[in-house]
Amino acid sequence: MTSVSTRRVKALPVIIWGYIIWSLVPVVIAVIYSFNDGRSRTVWKGFSFRWWFGDKYASVFHDPSMRHAIVNSLVLAVTTMLIVTPLGLALAIGSHRMKGKSAAAVQGMTSVPLITPEIVVGAALLLTFTRLFSGIPLGYPAQLLGNVTFSVSAVVVIVRARLVSIGSSFEEAARDLGATRFQALRFVLMPMLWPSIMASFVVVFATVIDDFVITSFLSAGVDSETVPLRIYSSVKGGATPALNALATLLVLTTFTALTIGVFGLSFWRKRHGETGGFKAALADLTRMGE
Amino acid sequence: MNKAARLWAALAAPGAFWLLFFFAVPFYAVACVAFGSIDPIFRDAIPQWNPLHWSFSEFGAVFSSVTSGPLRGVFARTIVYVVSAMIMSFAIGFPVAYYLARHAGKRRMLLLLLIIAPFWVNYLMRMLAWVNLLSPSGLFSRFVGMFGIHYNWLDGSPITVILGLVYGYVPFLILPLYATLERLDWRLVEAARDLGATSRQAFRVVTVPMAKAGVAAAAVLIALPMFGDYYTNDLLSRSPKTEMLGNQIDYYINNSSQPQRGAILVIMLSTLLLIALSWYLRSTSKIGKERVR
Amino acid sequence: MERRDFLKTLFATTGGIIIGPSLLAACGGATTKSSTGLIIGTPDSPVTLPLVGEPIADGLANEGGTIEILNWADYTNPEVIADFEKAFGVTVKQSIYDNEDAAIAKLRNGTLKPDLIIGLTDTALARLMAGELIQPLNHSYIPNKANLITGLQNPYYDLGAQYTMAQFIYGNGIGYRRDRIDPAELAAQGYDAMWNSAYSGKLGVTDSYRDIVSLALFQAGVTDVNTGDADILAAAKENLIRLRSATNPKVDVLSYQELPAGNRDIAYTWSGDILLAPFYLPEGTTADVLGFWYPENTITANDFLCIPKASAKPVAAHQFINYLLDNDVAVKNQSYVGYQPALTNVSAEALINAGAIPETLVDAVIDDAKYQAGKRLVSLTPETDALWSDVWTTFTAG
Repeated sequence: MTSVSTRRVKALPVIIWGYIIWSLVPVVIAVIYSFNDGRSRTVWKGFSFRWWFGDKYASVFHDPSMRHAIVNSLVLAVTTMLIVTPLGLALAIGSHRMKGKSAAAVQGMTSVPLITPEIVVGAALLLTFTRLFSGIPLGYPAQLLGNVTFSVSAVVVIVRARLVSIGSSFEEAARDLGATRFQALRFVLMPMLWPSIMASFVVVFATVIDDFVITSFLSAGVDSETVPLRIYSSVKGGATPALNALATLLVLTTFTALTIGVFGLSFWRKRHGETGGFKAALADLTRMGE
Repeated sequence: MNKAARLWAALAAPGAFWLLFFFAVPFYAVACVAFGSIDPIFRDAIPQWNPLHWSFSEFGAVFSSVTSGPLRGVFARTIVYVVSAMIMSFAIGFPVAYYLARHAGKRRMLLLLLIIAPFWVNYLMRMLAWVNLLSPSGLFSRFVGMFGIHYNWLDGSPITVILGLVYGYVPFLILPLYATLERLDWRLVEAARDLGATSRQAFRVVTVPMAKAGVAAAAVLIALPMFGDYYTNDLLSRSPKTEMLGNQIDYYINNSSQPQRGAILVIMLSTLLLIALSWYLRSTSKIGKERVR
Repeated sequence: MERRDFLKTLFATTGGIIIGPSLLAACGGATTKSSTGLIIGTPDSPVTLPLVGEPIADGLANEGGTIEILNWADYTNPEVIADFEKAFGVTVKQSIYDNEDAAIAKLRNGTLKPDLIIGLTDTALARLMAGELIQPLNHSYIPNKANLITGLQNPYYDLGAQYTMAQFIYGNGIGYRRDRIDPAELAAQGYDAMWNSAYSGKLGVTDSYRDIVSLALFQAGVTDVNTGDADILAAAKENLIRLRSATNPKVDVLSYQELPAGNRDIAYTWSGDILLAPFYLPEGTTADVLGFWYPENTITANDFLCIPKASAKPVAAHQFINYLLDNDVAVKNQSYVGYQPALTNVSAEALINAGAIPETLVDAVIDDAKYQAGKRLVSLTPETDALWSDVWTTFTAG
């Protein structure tokens, strides 16, 4: 019997490395082909920076529509992040402390977006913005509202997890020492919530910059095209390796944000004497703690 | 109302109203479009805001198409694709998460990073990667071509679409699975082994029941977006033979003169998922009770 | 203020601001003339559209500033736009649409307020008229109208071209790879090629219900492409299901890229798309791999330029229309867009000589005679349209 189980455990590393190769190598190949000297995304013609900046018209750094898509993506991700984090933070604290029926209602409403497929939210918002709230034009304004709506719940989940782990004893101590409820919130609780605020920033930024469905449903043509939309519309057909370069940029942006987040979080933890370090920071960002 | 409660309510209010306006109200708008009418000239949906005047005739037409018309195939295909993709995702994802949680040892941090990486690589980038590999001149097609396998992967084959779904959603399955398995109390498994259970028995009798709830949650986490997926299919196939529910919704809402049908399909999809979810909630609460007992 | 009052006020103000316009529209603004019916011209019974509103006065100077154009993606050469901006001292801003119905919806609810619309076809015209969305043109600004082919100086859908100026013409046919399918073999098969299982997985059809249902009609020998006959359409539905199971087609508008990229061998497509295909050939592939079979019975169509009623810069819009109909400008435009201008002087010979298209695609050039001989898609009544849509959705639902 032992031999069987040993064999099984030996098979596991093969599976895991197989999985890693299978999941990452295609992406790495796509990145490599962004440096293809030829026009093709599949036939290698030698190494060059042609599609990054060499080509004066069609490279990522010169093609106006690609640059436009990059700017749109960044603007959308940053503004969403700045709006949704305070909104979600307040909602998380409020709903965590509220009691009774209204608390249940608010918490229920907060969790529904987490279990709703994006296509449903996208379609519902599109119908709403074109037929009910017609003061909100499609394009950036609608995309911003849509992404805020879809990511509020993620912020709430992140902040609430932190609230649970902090507990209420610190605030109570502050109250006993004469702080008002607001002061306790502002000067005791808020500083302790910093990791969850940082995590929210990073998670929302990375989610929104990668978002396809909602951003696509609420777009108004080329004007509001983001990088994922651009990839979607040009994957098929004769798009050049500049598309690979554009996608690579997107991945690099996400990874940069995450790296900043992970190191920022583990640095914060270390300074404030919290355990967990790197791994806890990683867990914050991947929401493995749910 | 006391002061504290007022403070908490005031904090929650902006977010709560935001969700009310931009999440709850849109669902009502979907219903109003689905049960409204159509402008005969402009073929545009006219929402009926008053529920008392809702008309269910178009809903009936779509429903009969689901039970006996062309949409039956779409629903059946969607369910078959999603279920097959789920099974394959588990076949791949469970061993990976299990190994990572149990046997990774010194390399765990590195492995964890490598396994988290695809989670944050843009979904469309990952599909782009495969479209390149699978196209007739792509590396993968040329590679298997050397073994005499000449298969046009992108010609609208269900296999490609299902494998695409697996590739796309496995990372979202592995992480919650890993989180579940890592938190399990493995001493119980060891105890079972000490008491004479074979590893297989210990797995079946101890590990599986402990992990059940987390596993079910992970399953839900990938099943929901898969049911609404249309882009994977669009990029890897775009053939009527692999048309899924998400594609139909996308078509009716974005590209047709019948957004009303799209709204009806959105309602049907939501209902379908609601039924699945309540079944899931019931079974997890049962698991919870068993555990308590 | 009591909390409840505060909330009520909040609700009322935010709700009022955003819901306002649509509520107003729902209550008072019922401008839709649903009972009057649509005015639909056909080649057999051409129509003179009723005059609604006045054209702009003669001899006005252009308004300057920015004019907004509603256009399909990549449907006007950016260089042509830049030249126009320089010559007329205006800037041009483009909004893009990818669907006629969506464009009309956006015009109606005021999401878009362009000064000029490029690329709508006569299937949209009846609704534009019913919604009173466009204004009559003043021909004194458009002397280049004379360059149009005779058939389109006085089109059946808008006799006297009161509201519209034709721009591009095209016809439907089968684009294919001559290096993979023998031209003689394809010509021998004709429409049946689209049902040939030998091309399974390598075949595409346009994502356009009128064109594809018509394909099924033509293959079955029916030439009335506006039929409302339920039996004929039921047969077309069966026919398309046969096509689907025999060839597993791709349904999209990407054949102009997929044929040159080599991912597709054959596609039912618009002639303009195949004229665009040479630009997408990979390096080292010559343009003569592309071929086009032009059927005897097929659809020809044209799109047009028109000015919305709400245009703020109608004079500049008229000037842009005239500019686009200039022979030299039109050739320059064609070299980017691929579609062929509806101008007498922009003939197949002229395009081949200018190196704009390869000789193997000569059949994709539509001249006046071909245009006249083609069948036309016209607006359908809502009942007929429902039948057509049903055929299409059955086909695409697989």
